[in-house]
Amino acid sequence: MTATILTQELTYQERLDALRATKLAQTQEKQRVLGAMDHDDWALVLPLPEVRKVVQAVSGSGVTITDALIDGIDMASNHANGGFYGPRICGENFRRLLDAHPPYVDPLCSLAGAVMANFASYRRQGWNPDLDYSHLHAEQQLYKLTPGIGGSQHFCPDLAIGLELGWRGILDKIEYYRAENPHAEEFYAGLEEVIFGIRDWMHRNAVAAQELATQEESPQLRCNLEEIAEINFRLLDEPPQTLREACQWMTWYLMAARMYNGSGALGRLDVLLEPFYARDVAAGRLSDEEAAFHIACMLLRDTAYAQLGGPDAAGHDVTSRVSYLVLDAIDRLQVPANVGVCVGNDVDPELLQRGVEMQFTHRMGFPKFLGIDSTVQGLIRNGYPAETARSRAYSGCHWSAVPGREYAMRDIVKINFAAIFNVAFADMMADTAVKPSVDALWQRFVHHLQRAVAVTAEGLAFHLEHMHEVFPELPLDLLCYGPIEKGEDASHGGVEIYNLGIDGAALATVADSFAAIEQRVEQERRLSWADLMRHLDGNWGEADGERVRLMLKSVPRYGSGGSRADDWAQRIVRAFTYAIKEQPTSGFDLTPGIFSWASTLAMGRALAATPDGRHAGDPISHGSNPNPGFREDGATTAMALAIAAVQPGLGNSAPMQLELDPGLSRSTEDIAKVGSLIRTHFDLGGTQINLNVLDKQKVLEAHKDPSKYPDLIVRVTGFSAYFASLSPEFRQIVVDRIIAEG
Amino acid sequence: MQGIVTNIQRFSVHDGPGIRTTVFLKGCNLRCFWCHNPEDMNPAPEIQFFPERCIECEACLDACVQGAHSVDDGHHRFRRELCSGCGECVDTCYAKSLVLVGASKSVEEVVDEILQDQAFYASSGGGVTLSGGEPLLQIDFSAAVLARCQERGIHTAIETAANFPWARVEAILPHVDLVMMDIKHMDSAAHRRSTGVRNERILENAARLGRQPQPLIVRTPVIPGVNDSAAQIGAIAAFVATLPNLLYYELLPYHPMAESKYRSLGQLYRATDLVPPSPAHMASLAEAAGEAGVTMRLA
Repeated sequence: MTATILTQELTYQERLDALRATKLAQTQEKQRVLGAMDHDDWALVLPLPEVRKVVQAVSGSGVTITDALIDGIDMASNHANGGFYGPRICGENFRRLLDAHPPYVDPLCSLAGAVMANFASYRRQGWNPDLDYSHLHAEQQLYKLTPGIGGSQHFCPDLAIGLELGWRGILDKIEYYRAENPHAEEFYAGLEEVIFGIRDWMHRNAVAAQELATQEESPQLRCNLEEIAEINFRLLDEPPQTLREACQWMTWYLMAARMYNGSGALGRLDVLLEPFYARDVAAGRLSDEEAAFHIACMLLRDTAYAQLGGPDAAGHDVTSRVSYLVLDAIDRLQVPANVGVCVGNDVDPELLQRGVEMQFTHRMGFPKFLGIDSTVQGLIRNGYPAETARSRAYSGCHWSAVPGREYAMRDIVKINFAAIFNVAFADMMADTAVKPSVDALWQRFVHHLQRAVAVTAEGLAFHLEHMHEVFPELPLDLLCYGPIEKGEDASHGGVEIYNLGIDGAALATVADSFAAIEQRVEQERRLSWADLMRHLDGNWGEADGERVRLMLKSVPRYGSGGSRADDWAQRIVRAFTYAIKEQPTSGFDLTPGIFSWASTLAMGRALAATPDGRHAGDPISHGSNPNPGFREDGATTAMALAIAAVQPGLGNSAPMQLELDPGLSRSTEDIAKVGSLIRTHFDLGGTQINLNVLDKQKVLEAHKDPSKYPDLIVRVTGFSAYFASLSPEFRQIVVDRIIAEG
Repeated sequence: MQGIVTNIQRFSVHDGPGIRTTVFLKGCNLRCFWCHNPEDMNPAPEIQFFPERCIECEACLDACVQGAHSVDDGHHRFRRELCSGCGECVDTCYAKSLVLVGASKSVEEVVDEILQDQAFYASSGGGVTLSGGEPLLQIDFSAAVLARCQERGIHTAIETAANFPWARVEAILPHVDLVMMDIKHMDSAAHRRSTGVRNERILENAARLGRQPQPLIVRTPVIPGVNDSAAQIGAIAAFVATLPNLLYYELLPYHPMAESKYRSLGQLYRATDLVPPSPAHMASLAEAAGEAGVTMRLA
């Protein structure tokens, strides 16, 4: 510690600057130890090398990752395969991890704790093999589905429950309902283990803060450490009373939920904190700068997804002073952050303006923008009451859920349209009784799409039947309405609403493929069906293959405006929406969205060449975005119109990924122009915008040598990450988008 | 009615207020040696050739009746002097090594494209801007496009050098809500040396435009060695300050990004030695202009 720190009071900004530097160093260590991380930053701090073990694991979002564990924890097993299944043992084993978890206290931070390991990475055996769904495998593999079976979290708890009850209150609630539900003893035992584990972890952190305080030479930081200790001892039982305590309580909960199964759903942060802020300010014990500091310390410890502004259940905008303090917090912190600001007719327009200003000031991809009117209206159209629709909170990459009430499985169930297309194409070409045509291809595409939806729905019914026996949602159950009361896991009837998301992916890949075939094969007859198949099978490597590929690629593409590919994209989304809403289900709804998330790479890797000119193994198109290069001038408004026109429109999103020219100045006029662009996209039906304002040259240099800009942050898809943490392939996707759209 | 259009740029944010669509029309009656839109200079369609994109499929050899394309020593050679600009080769070039610049479009086609972004104009106070090239060279087409846009309630603007008899400038005004014009130098001989034309008519038209009901924005591209002195910018600003309906005076720094376009058109880029003015220098020029009492903007 420097002499300056010892003798001078540090400002909140100086403390945040130092905390950011520490995080950057921790991130660079993760990059060295874990390699590329094509996912949320998660704010994970590596365990010390002497207890660290690097493993291959599956994340809470279902993708394979390299992860670091705290070694030497003996997880109990209740299955011959060495796995552990069911609520009690999951709770017990999670507690084992929490018990082994070292404390983490930074004297500069106002809150204690940091996450060092993912519990999911200890679940080496995944799904319980006794629960067999092999009857679905053939079609799941044929259509290359991401079926979601065994997927966890991806819904939103209501942290207001915890802020009101505190850990003791939640334990009392469990005790009360356990008497009413004797059948659920295993479940309650699991829940209790989670709480006991969290409280012990908190206690060790409080003790660590106390010890550090005795060694701390700076009076300012000593005082901070003493306060951390005092707050955390109190929060072992009591609910939080102040904004700082609320931030500390939520941080513990978020970290535990993150550690358990990757949940990063925070929900309506401004609404959650507003009563604490109002109370502290009325008592004269909190300045806005201090409030922003505590919020920043919380967001430093977890890259949780949060919504600012938007309607309450009655339709009144909840934007408050706290909404702006959250923006101030991420403005000051400048690390990856996943905060979305609502944009809508009744939402404070200043919130949008402030968000756009921040984008241009820091060029770090935050905040993102949420088209609240179209999502609310969509969910009402989908058959849900207006109050329910308005109560949803932005909680993940591209999704929202009603906090504590809606089990959603959002962003983990995906249908790759391009895989369906390839099945349909092969099917048609193999049928000697049929003369190939675009119409015949479309009929088969729709048929296979319907089958893919049906198989997915069957898988989800299976998941809902058994997930609670495999890996119940214990931390999230604690803060939902119903699981404790009924003694049922959220995945098994515990909550009120079962509205599961299914996302379509590769929209542009397939829309452009249909348009290319229609124009070049059917209308212009520049290519025969047989030659097309030969070139696809040969991955454009046949004689004249590159010319044919470019011929197909050069038709007007989805996004160019008024093209046939634009028509095909709308037709595909309509067919997808219809297939989902016509699919019979029992006990749950299905709602479509369009989003590929980071799977853009993995889905493409497993896919043969497609008639849009894509090579086998190349990434599929990103979410609902057009293919890069869709217009010579990369017209932003053309893309905004195209994406607004392909919304399924039933409450789930089809986000627009937008890269803007930093040549736009930070003048009031230019900020207003970008604000208008965002507003108009939403007015036309758009649902979400992930925005980057990036210097093209800087990104190109960082792609070449990531170490040159270690602090460069981009919004990759729905999530935000350090550019240097991404794999070269994923960096390439970002680069392609920026070159095409910037 | 048809016009020769090089490009329709949507989400244009540097060509007037709000979100705009800028229609670039082909043909200009100035020859500024630094011009960053060389594809807009000549009024007739031309072919851009990007040899680095060529995949050597040789389809253009068969398509060209003039024999303008050949492969010599494994390299695609384009003899521009033989080219009639028919565009047949372009249709076969899927690699976009050959690109036709300047498409003949009807008023309806252009207006249809402009209308696509009507929602964005409405929310941002934007509209359409005709640029180029010189939109007044295609006066009838320009007037028809702008009139149609005005009928649909779309704000209209033109970017012009105003190097025409006043009658032609005046003819477009009923269809224009905002005029943006360039003044590049106050000295006529210097103006001629760098743009090929004298400036008396331009300044006369500027003075007249300054008295019209439409607001006027005057812009000066700041070109090193041409007009980048405080004295020259101050002189232009002093003149601009006399225009009663001036909205603001804007300085645009020279940028060197057009060189590859010249190459693709087989033209010589004569501004290779120019170094873009620094932000500090631009700020000092803006200060010099500001002293003339004019409302300033820096791009």
